[in-house]
Amino acid sequence: MNFNFLCKEPAPPNGRSVGIVGAGPSGLAAAGYLSCLGYQVTVYDKLPKPGGLMRFGIPGHRIPKDRLEQGIRRMERQFGVIFQSHTKICCSAPLFEEEGDHFCREVLGLGEIVKRHDASIICTGAWKSRKLGIPGEDLPGVYSGLEFLFPIRAAHYCVPGAQPADVTGKVVAVIGAGHSAVDVAHSALRLGAATVHHLYRRTAKEAPCGSYEIERLKALGVIWHERVTPVRILGDTQVTGVELVDAKTQESITVPADLVITAIGEIATPPFARELGIENVRKGEVRWLHMTDIENVFVAGDALTGPSKIGKAVYSGLKAARSLANWLDLKAQNRLDAYPYDDLVANDEGRRRS
Amino acid sequence: MSRKVLYVDYSKCIGCETCEYVCKFVYDVPRIQMTRTIDGVMVPIYCHHCEEPKCMRACKRGAIVRDQDGAVIHQYLLCRGCETRNCIIACPYGAMLETDKGVMITKCDLCAPRRQIGLPPACAEMCPCGAIQYVDEEELAALKTEGAELAEARILKHIRNPQGS
Ligand SMILES: Cc1cc2nc3c(=O)[nH]c(=O)nc-3n(C[C@H](O)[C@H](O)[C@H](O)COP(=O)(O)OP(=O)(O)OC[C@H]3O[C@@H](n4cnc5c(N)ncnc54)[C@H](O)[C@@H]3O)c2cc1C
Repeated sequence: MNFNFLCKEPAPPNGRSVGIVGAGPSGLAAAGYLSCLGYQVTVYDKLPKPGGLMRFGIPGHRIPKDRLEQGIRRMERQFGVIFQSHTKICCSAPLFEEEGDHFCREVLGLGEIVKRHDASIICTGAWKSRKLGIPGEDLPGVYSGLEFLFPIRAAHYCVPGAQPADVTGKVVAVIGAGHSAVDVAHSALRLGAATVHHLYRRTAKEAPCGSYEIERLKALGVIWHERVTPVRILGDTQVTGVELVDAKTQESITVPADLVITAIGEIATPPFARELGIENVRKGEVRWLHMTDIENVFVAGDALTGPSKIGKAVYSGLKAARSLANWLDLKAQNRLDAYPYDDLVANDEGRRRS
Repeated sequence: MSRKVLYVDYSKCIGCETCEYVCKFVYDVPRIQMTRTIDGVMVPIYCHHCEEPKCMRACKRGAIVRDQDGAVIHQYLLCRGCETRNCIIACPYGAMLETDKGVMITKCDLCAPRRQIGLPPACAEMCPCGAIQYVDEEELAALKTEGAELAEARILKHIRNPQGS
């Protein structure tokens, strides 16, 4: 991925520095845009390598890592972008609570970042897993989609604590029918699960991942159950199965399982969500596109929109970077007040469509 | 002269929409656009810059021509946005796009302004999976693997006969 696709070579240094928190597609796209313009860009990430969910969430067979690595190397070598990995920017949630926290070696306060740079962009993604809210969800053997997938990829980076769940010869039940549920089912099969049950509350036709993906899973041996709603995860000290209600007959069914993986989506947990007033940015009640309550801190990607896709995250990162650059330019010329901000918001294609 | 083309290997595409969104960032109205097939596969629809472009033949005003790199381009100044919509109907790939601006038609020009300064098309640069290739037409044959052809056949069936069984 050529994150510097907008230029052939960097513009001469413009003397300004930008900090980007989070090296997923949105952060990397913003870094590419700004480094083309001659900004000194530093990208912070708590994980050992840049890439975000492209490296640590989506299975490797779907997204080859060499293109990602090429793009990162280009930014680093040719465009002078600094990647500061293993660094968590301190957030509202305590450390070691979210997936991937055990990688951090350094913790920096957001205030530190704000002081270090002329402006910053928060691109921390949406990593907190949504819960079903049914009894038994806290039993050992129950994982969220990311809890299950993340260690599989992270184990390649030799980090203690990132132990993939052992599924060899076991019965696995996957709940949900989005792309991450499909990724979980594929990974479980590939890691040697004896049986994979796939449970979904609607029909294959309605599945967000599409019926084609489900047919492919079935061809690989996955047992597909549709129109079933999980009501309880069974077991005393360890998962033994899932109790479901059939939506058609209202009958109760039990599917035995050694592992239950609930891949029903993630929620955004940007650091300092309240302090930054992220909710207002979402609603579009902002002074400047993508700007938070702290005027030189911007936000982009899934951290802003909630879980989306790579393309949308890239677009959001590019737009935040453009907005940031416009803002710094006008500020340097003392022209911010004269700028008809309302027109700017009204003209923004992305917002008009959504 | 060797002709440049875009090629999407649908067997490598994961439907992430990066091509469409990058194109949208550069041109406002994207010229490569996602579609979802009935069985739920997301893929981009794009201009193949055909050897014998049907859109070119359909346009009676000569608004669709080939440029120096072989890209099939749409000239706004000659297009009158005519009601026949013949170019849209003629394209077997669904790549002539209606918009709500100007002459109300747009299409991929293989990033003409970027090519002028030596940059390849933006979508190919940013595709995370290397599914979009910007190549000489002679290189096409090597890219059309069995998997790619199968995947393309599935998509084209959808484009040409969306209600089909
Ligand atoms: C299992 C799974 C499969 C998916 N499959 C697809 C797919 O096939 N196609 C598709 O288009 N999309 C897919 N997605 C969605 C896609 O991955 C995301 O939409 C996209 O990666 C979001 O990009 P982002 O830059 O906003 O955030 P992310 O990619 O989440 O990156 C955020 C980065 O911020 C870092 N970070 C977070 N908090 C901090 C902090 N406090 N300090 C420092 N660093 C921090 C994280 O370590 C991470 O590297 C999938 C998602 C999942 C979970």
